[in-house]
Amino acid sequence: MNSLLTSAVAGLSAGGAYAILGVCVVFTYRLVSVVKFTATALGAIGAFVMVIMTEMGYPLLPSVLVGILVGALASTAVGLITTIWFSGSSQSIKAAVTAALLVCIIAMGQRLTGGQQPRAFPDIVGGAGIQLAGVTITAASLVAIGFAVFLTVAAEQVLNRTRMGLQLRALSERPMAAELLGIPVRRLAIGVWAASGAMTSIALMLVAPLRSPDFGSLSLLVVPAFAAALIGSFKSFRAALVGGILIGVIEGLASVFVGLNQYRAAVPFLVILVVLLWSQRGAQWDEAR
Amino acid sequence: MNILETENLVIKRMGIPVVREVNLVASSGEISVLLGANGAGKTTLLEGISGIIPIASGSVELEGNDMVKVSAGKRALAGIAHVEQGRTIFGSMTTEENLKVALHPDASLEEIYELFPELLARKDVQSMMLSGGEQQMVVIGRALVGRPKVVLIDEMSAGLAPVVVNRLMKGVRRLADLGLAVVLVEQFANLALEIGDRAYVMRRGSFVYEGDCATLGNDPDQLHHLYLGDIGEAA
Amino acid sequence: MKRDSSFAALKTAALIFIAGALCLFLLSSYWIFLITAVFIIGVALQSLGLVVGRAGMISLCQMSFAGVGAWVVGYLNVIDFPGGLPVWLLIGGLAALPFGIAIGLPALRLRGINLAIVTLGFAVAFGVVLGTITYPGQTTFTMVARPSGLESDQGYFIFVLAIYGIIAVALEFITRSRLGASWLAIRHSERAAASLGVSVPKAKLSAFAISAFIAGISGGLLAGYMGTLLADNFSMMQSLVLFAVAIMVGAQFPLGAILGGVLVALFPELLRRLSLPQDLGSVFFGVGAVQALSTGETISEAFGRLGRKILPRRIRTQKRASEASLPAARVLDGDKAVLEMRDVTVRYGNVVALNRASLVVPQGTVVGLIGPNGAGKSTFVDAITGFLLSYEGKILFQGKEIDALSATQRARAGLRRTWQTTRMAPELTVGEYIRLASGGGLSDEEVDAILVWLDCPPSEQLISSVDAGARRLLDVAGAVAARPPVILLDEPAAGQSYAEAVMLGKRIAEIPERFGSSVLLIEHDMDLVRSACSQVTVLDFGAVLAAGATQEVLDMPSVKKAYMGIDFDEEAAQ
Repeated sequence: MNSLLTSAVAGLSAGGAYAILGVCVVFTYRLVSVVKFTATALGAIGAFVMVIMTEMGYPLLPSVLVGILVGALASTAVGLITTIWFSGSSQSIKAAVTAALLVCIIAMGQRLTGGQQPRAFPDIVGGAGIQLAGVTITAASLVAIGFAVFLTVAAEQVLNRTRMGLQLRALSERPMAAELLGIPVRRLAIGVWAASGAMTSIALMLVAPLRSPDFGSLSLLVVPAFAAALIGSFKSFRAALVGGILIGVIEGLASVFVGLNQYRAAVPFLVILVVLLWSQRGAQWDEAR
Repeated sequence: MNILETENLVIKRMGIPVVREVNLVASSGEISVLLGANGAGKTTLLEGISGIIPIASGSVELEGNDMVKVSAGKRALAGIAHVEQGRTIFGSMTTEENLKVALHPDASLEEIYELFPELLARKDVQSMMLSGGEQQMVVIGRALVGRPKVVLIDEMSAGLAPVVVNRLMKGVRRLADLGLAVVLVEQFANLALEIGDRAYVMRRGSFVYEGDCATLGNDPDQLHHLYLGDIGEAA
Repeated sequence: MKRDSSFAALKTAALIFIAGALCLFLLSSYWIFLITAVFIIGVALQSLGLVVGRAGMISLCQMSFAGVGAWVVGYLNVIDFPGGLPVWLLIGGLAALPFGIAIGLPALRLRGINLAIVTLGFAVAFGVVLGTITYPGQTTFTMVARPSGLESDQGYFIFVLAIYGIIAVALEFITRSRLGASWLAIRHSERAAASLGVSVPKAKLSAFAISAFIAGISGGLLAGYMGTLLADNFSMMQSLVLFAVAIMVGAQFPLGAILGGVLVALFPELLRRLSLPQDLGSVFFGVGAVQALSTGETISEAFGRLGRKILPRRIRTQKRASEASLPAARVLDGDKAVLEMRDVTVRYGNVVALNRASLVVPQGTVVGLIGPNGAGKSTFVDAITGFLLSYEGKILFQGKEIDALSATQRARAGLRRTWQTTRMAPELTVGEYIRLASGGGLSDEEVDAILVWLDCPPSEQLISSVDAGARRLLDVAGAVAARPPVILLDEPAAGQSYAEAVMLGKRIAEIPERFGSSVLLIEHDMDLVRSACSQVTVLDFGAVLAAGATQEVLDMPSVKKAYMGIDFDEEAAQ
């Protein structure tokens, strides 16, 4: 029993990271209607810029800030490509474009960060964590979950309480009507891309020390991120938050059972499959009429 | 004063000319009524003017400035407001939020509540839950607080009860009386002709009638011919 | 048609044979070894071209299918299964096939980005599993045995080339078959494909199944090529790169698959000689794919276009096929109602789109369906043709209830429709489209006669070069060519000039007599309705307002009011 609890808690750190990433994916999807395949790869760029700077001897804080900035810029660049060339394209074309871009980013990222050999990620979060019912909850997982909750609340508040949030909602609900009202549609969209790039960079800086921190593996976190976002139907921040943590916990639990342990990385795929088939059960035809 | 003028405007959809060499004028203080059976090209004409779809040839001028190459967003800021058909409210927002989204610094919500007092009591209601008439008032109001010079209104009466349509028509007349130029697209002719000044009838992309509303309104037979064609009668 | 496929297949086989012979003669064994990889990747690309390029679905897990094939070949090698590599390849391909179907099943519901997510997830999960179970023989350094007599690099090259040739030739036949045309059709619109009687699930599943089979074989070939393999050979990144290359070159074309193979296999060699990092290749492929997507033209298509500029395609001048060559009407019995709707109600949430609407189309007539915008005309057609999830009421076709039938089944039974926006596969020629739409069995002369009769472009012309107005006519021509009991025409004259519309009206009026099909015509233009329809039904607010002989109905005051909002009685009274 206790081993079950321990492994479930061990999954919390990954769960927190999935939750952050899931919330970021929902954010981009809700506001600019793009499913961002490249999300974690872009965040990894930011995270690696931070690592390389600390390796070069810069202090932690400026490195983190520059990393976030670079992540935001990279995300904006991808956003520009998608909005300028492919805004009128079909769903399938958009999906193909993001997949192609993902190839570029991973290949470049692996080249610039030294392939698959892991880098030493500085632990941004110090501290030992807390003891609860005989189980240790690490500081890193607490910070990850805390940040995920913060993002969820912040996203909801901005969208519901500010004028910019209002305009963003208008843009996401009816882009054409928003443009016809003179809302600066393009500027807002670019802002969304930049913000989501910055947030994913932070998320990956938190996650990287817990994972095998090479560029390729970090980019693959997009799969659990989608799984979390799908639990919130790409709409609900809160559901993505809970979903992300749950997936982490399930992964943790799977590690208890011999025979399942090695396959626990397949958990997000199974979640995706089940959620998608369930949510799309009513869809019969493609959107093209 | 002429606010909006199009000259030999041609607009294509998927390569097919849907609006063919159209010359339309809208003046401040006047309502230009645009009639025609569906499929005639009225909506496409409005979409070309507001910049939703590109113009194949000809010109659109707002107070003498050519708008053809200007984006839809810039045209909106320049003073062309477009109330699309189908009541394009932001359904997740309340009435007031809808009106606030694009509020011009010089404009106030009070003007809208004065024009459509029934909205005041419903200001905190999610606009998805409003009646069709109220939703139509919200989208018209939302366009007005952007301080436009000309308002294009597409099929605002579709699916609404006659009483409501009457109420909306009065509101539109009021807009023109306040000095705005209005282009009103309607499938239902009689009410529009009652409140309008200039009338155009469109068929297969071209204007087949141009004149004033009073004359056309008093001649239902001519209107019948313009709408439904006359091959049957001729044969 | 048969002759076309045989000719293309022969051409492909000859080209591959010549290319292979040249390589063997001219190149050193180092290059032969490298070029073997070109053809193995070519096989994988062909498999991807089928799903992505033809059927228009996304697959980001193609190397996982290849991995299944490779793993099975490795396993059969370790247990020393009889038959050698040729047999193992076949078994490997067959083993990959159920995986293809398993991924194809979600694709029945999921498309675009959702399908991309699922296939990417599968690729990642498969990588994890393969990394855990490891490749058979990896730990004991058992190499996969090549076929006896072909163990040398030259020998294996010949073996790979032969397999490539067999697959390429088989694909030439399949893509020109009705199945191949159905893949193109679902790529552009699933609804339109279903309305032609194409079974969408069958098209999707067959595409994924055949594709996985071919990918499995490519994995097996790779196993024989390398001797032993690692999970990394089939990782998600490999699948992604393959996908990018397929998009960039146009892997659905024979030239594209080879070109892609050359790029993937030889580009790293080029980079190596220039002492540049190898992974630049992937960046290049990604950028190339984005470029191809933004212009909408793959490298193969660009070459094809340039080639046609130099050697223009001959277009046979259309024989003025006479009306006598029009296909005969299919004989139909009696004069009863061929289509009948009884009290059909359709709801979207709280909105009632159709309210107890009834309508009868008698045998051998053209019935008009008119009404203001939003009156429910499109819903009406969707209900009849089976494109709604549910409706209340009954629809009878030739006296039988068809409410339980799918859209595809209704189309096959002979209930055909056209669309307001046509979405035909632009890769098809006019003639190929008419054949797909007709369900087969028409001679060249009959196809030409139908095209001339409706004033359509000649049958050799590609649909991509046909303008939108003519595509609508083509849509009508396709429905007519099938000579079904009922044709529903959804605003066929929109966008036509006045004279063209009147002409089309005359043709539509002739359809029942010439082709034996009754017509339900949805139209806005009253002149067209008058010239084509003997009866008219008017829809307003989802309910039937009036029905009867055309002129009588159009003269009813209530109809005029619905159409123009003018109360003519009231006006007259004043």
